[in-house]
Amino acid sequence: MSAKRPKWAEWADWVRENDDPRMAGPKPEALDDLVVLDLSSQSYAGAYCSSMLAEFGAEVIRVEPPQGDFLRTCTPYGLLHQGEGLNYLTEGRNKYHVTLDLNLEEGRDILRGLAAQADVLLETFPLGTMDTWGLGYEELKKTNPGLIFASITAHGQFGPEANDPMPDYDNVAQAKSGIQYATGAMLPPEEDVATCPWAVSTKAGPWIAWCSAGTFMATGILAALHWRCRTGQGQALDVATTEAYMRLDNYTHIWFQGGGHVTERVGGLDNALWLYCFAPTSDGGVFLGGLRLEMWQAFCDMMGKWDEWEVGEWDSLSPFLNQEAQLKYFPEVAKFTRQHTSEELVRMAVDYSQSGRLAPITTVIAPILSPKEAMEDTNWNERGVFAPTQDPIYGRVVAVQAQHKMTETPIRTKWVCRPVGYDNAFVYRKYLGYGPAHLSQLREQGVL
Amino acid sequence: MAEATWRDYVRNKGKKPSPLTGLRVLEVCTIVFGPSGPSWLAEMGAEAIKVEIPPLGDLERDLSCSGFRFKEQSPLFLHDNINKYYLGLDLHKPEGQEIFCQLAAKADIIENNLRPGVMERFNVDYHKIAKINPGIIYLEKNGFGQWGPYAEENRPSNDGASQAFSGLAWLSTFPGQTPVKQMIYLSDMYGALLAEVAVLSALHHRDRTGKGQYIEISQTESIMRTMSWIWPYLDITRQNPAPAGNRDVSVCPADTFCCADGSMVSLAAAAPVEFAGLCEAMGHPELARDERFADHLTRLKEENAPILLGIIAEWVAQRPAQEIENLAREHGFAASRVRDASQVMADQHIRQRGFMTQVDDAMYGQYRDHEFPVMMSATPPQKKWAARPVGFDNEYVMKKLLNTSDKELKALYGIGALGKWADRPGRRPPPDWDGNSDLILSRDQASPQAARGEK
Repeated sequence: MSAKRPKWAEWADWVRENDDPRMAGPKPEALDDLVVLDLSSQSYAGAYCSSMLAEFGAEVIRVEPPQGDFLRTCTPYGLLHQGEGLNYLTEGRNKYHVTLDLNLEEGRDILRGLAAQADVLLETFPLGTMDTWGLGYEELKKTNPGLIFASITAHGQFGPEANDPMPDYDNVAQAKSGIQYATGAMLPPEEDVATCPWAVSTKAGPWIAWCSAGTFMATGILAALHWRCRTGQGQALDVATTEAYMRLDNYTHIWFQGGGHVTERVGGLDNALWLYCFAPTSDGGVFLGGLRLEMWQAFCDMMGKWDEWEVGEWDSLSPFLNQEAQLKYFPEVAKFTRQHTSEELVRMAVDYSQSGRLAPITTVIAPILSPKEAMEDTNWNERGVFAPTQDPIYGRVVAVQAQHKMTETPIRTKWVCRPVGYDNAFVYRKYLGYGPAHLSQLREQGVL
Repeated sequence: MAEATWRDYVRNKGKKPSPLTGLRVLEVCTIVFGPSGPSWLAEMGAEAIKVEIPPLGDLERDLSCSGFRFKEQSPLFLHDNINKYYLGLDLHKPEGQEIFCQLAAKADIIENNLRPGVMERFNVDYHKIAKINPGIIYLEKNGFGQWGPYAEENRPSNDGASQAFSGLAWLSTFPGQTPVKQMIYLSDMYGALLAEVAVLSALHHRDRTGKGQYIEISQTESIMRTMSWIWPYLDITRQNPAPAGNRDVSVCPADTFCCADGSMVSLAAAAPVEFAGLCEAMGHPELARDERFADHLTRLKEENAPILLGIIAEWVAQRPAQEIENLAREHGFAASRVRDASQVMADQHIRQRGFMTQVDDAMYGQYRDHEFPVMMSATPPQKKWAARPVGFDNEYVMKKLLNTSDKELKALYGIGALGKWADRPGRRPPPDWDGNSDLILSRDQASPQAARGEK
């Protein structure tokens, strides 16, 4: 904590006392009255969605085929931690894991029993699969009219391409969204893709389309629950992964309609803002930000261009809000930033705020950190972002949870994952009253 | 059958109720991160009142696309501010603060994305509002949250800084290259979305107990949540994960490739049947049995994946994108060209699903925009109207919610507690507005034509 505290320090202390995630334990859980069946298959969107609900205390039952969900094998470079893929390792959080072969009638019958007692059912099978099994919404709602039946797929539950059997993948959804097309390095003049294979449309690193689909579906489920609280009525929900990610694009579709403009890659620049870009440094890169003219002027001053460019005469940011101007000024900016380390530039902005010509106005300069540097940053650690979970099976695991902090019903990660079928005995006893003899019979028949 | 559930969904949207109908949201929000969340609630039927300080209001109104504006309005502002009522209220003035408190007493949710301490300075912080309305769900969004070293240093933050700070940009690049910025305001949009999960969970808690609560969220912390395996990987290996360009290192094969026709195609085929289909399509079914590739975990390894991706790259490079897409359909793997805005806008599927919906707005006319991306069979979300000028609905909000008399209104305008738009693009109505249509309460009653929106 810095020595000189702000005027609102008392407020900061109150919030911290009331929402520090490490003190969540005894507080109430917002969704601990809910039972969620997560049938999602080969879909991080599904697993991510049910994680959101499980962190709030919902009893999420992951129903996997006897060999386990394929998602368990989707792990970077094939790396396993105690036999578990890293993506699934952190997305099994707070969930119960059962196996069930839905290709067998016996398995489907058990599923009907669970669905009759559930509040939410989440599935990500290709369209028609649940219907073919006799487990579609129209069928299940007959016994459970309050059921919220949530489907996440590549193309959605209706529309001309809904029957396209294409499996749902994050990278393909990013490609379809229009966002990947407009993100990536610009090709340097007189070069081509053969010489600069990195100067192409570039996707976001994380499974961001899947995360968007899962998070939007979580909001949909919660809105549907509110409606059900008022009316008792359940319903079916439909998310298409591409659409969910596309919804985060603020303008390319409007720009195209109004101006016939196809948004192209601008590398580290921005179509709507200046000064607002990534710039290379001698040891990496920095973000430079200043939405006001004075902040851009301050940066020109730091570059030593005050007199040469007659910066003091400028009276509007407008002349800089087009690509032509940005491509004219950016090489000058980059030439300057390349001569310094990221740390030097960050320091320069702080010093300028104290003694610069326009002080206290300065430019926002932030280093582009690697994940390792981000993870070592005191601020996030103090706020509990990377607090490890001690899992009874998997030991210490850093599973970053959702990052809202709440005073009454904070979220928590109690355990991170379970092996395939780990909770069969508990869940089938609790919901269906099956004892050990019945369970071993079902296991022998291949139903579990 | 799914078909029975969704038949005529788009056509019947307007005839069904909205899931959040009856809820009232007050927002004091600016630039992308702020207003997006209340917009989603309003698309699901909540009554969202956008409080802006007159006459300039939300700074997002300033943002153009390289100078392009849609009927003078910022395309970004138009996208992030849907189905809202617009109140120009000066929170610097005690009278403005008093009105805010009166509205807060009748609200369910309050959202802002100002810096810590600002709402306290306006005398409308959580402690004050919770005394008036203990059921209130009060959300504050910003760069670093309400406590911790960066928040206390009063560091400014924005989407670009957040992409840089979180490790996201470093990761979303090709090895050895200066990171590129995501074209969308990803940290802002995703942080706004994650915040609504908290708000709606808090609503469920309130439905059960009557209790409200306080919520804070940082967009940098939120985007870190999406980086799933990165954190356990770092914790276990102590190594930075390498930037991998378009390659998905958790799914194999999954990458973006250059086609013969100059376009790019993204492809994924990880599950056994999909991978066998891809090998078949490539005319090399034996690859699916190759010991380096047969099993997904083995295929993902660094000694194998690049070899396989090299083989696929060579195959794709000799074919146009269309052929790869057709083969994907035929053989059961996933592939799509990397679509640009014109291709997205020509997509008939998303139009017919009502996702790329046609807005029919009294002020901004007809244009296509994204529907809320969760289709709900009983309670469909729906975009109903577009953005409005600063303070456009003052009379309606003040009369309907507080029954303010004309005399009081005049006094409030007189002292500047209430105000309307500045005469600047994005703040004022579009140039072709008739000066009358779409005002809810104070239309010119002397002119029936004008009242009907005719010129």
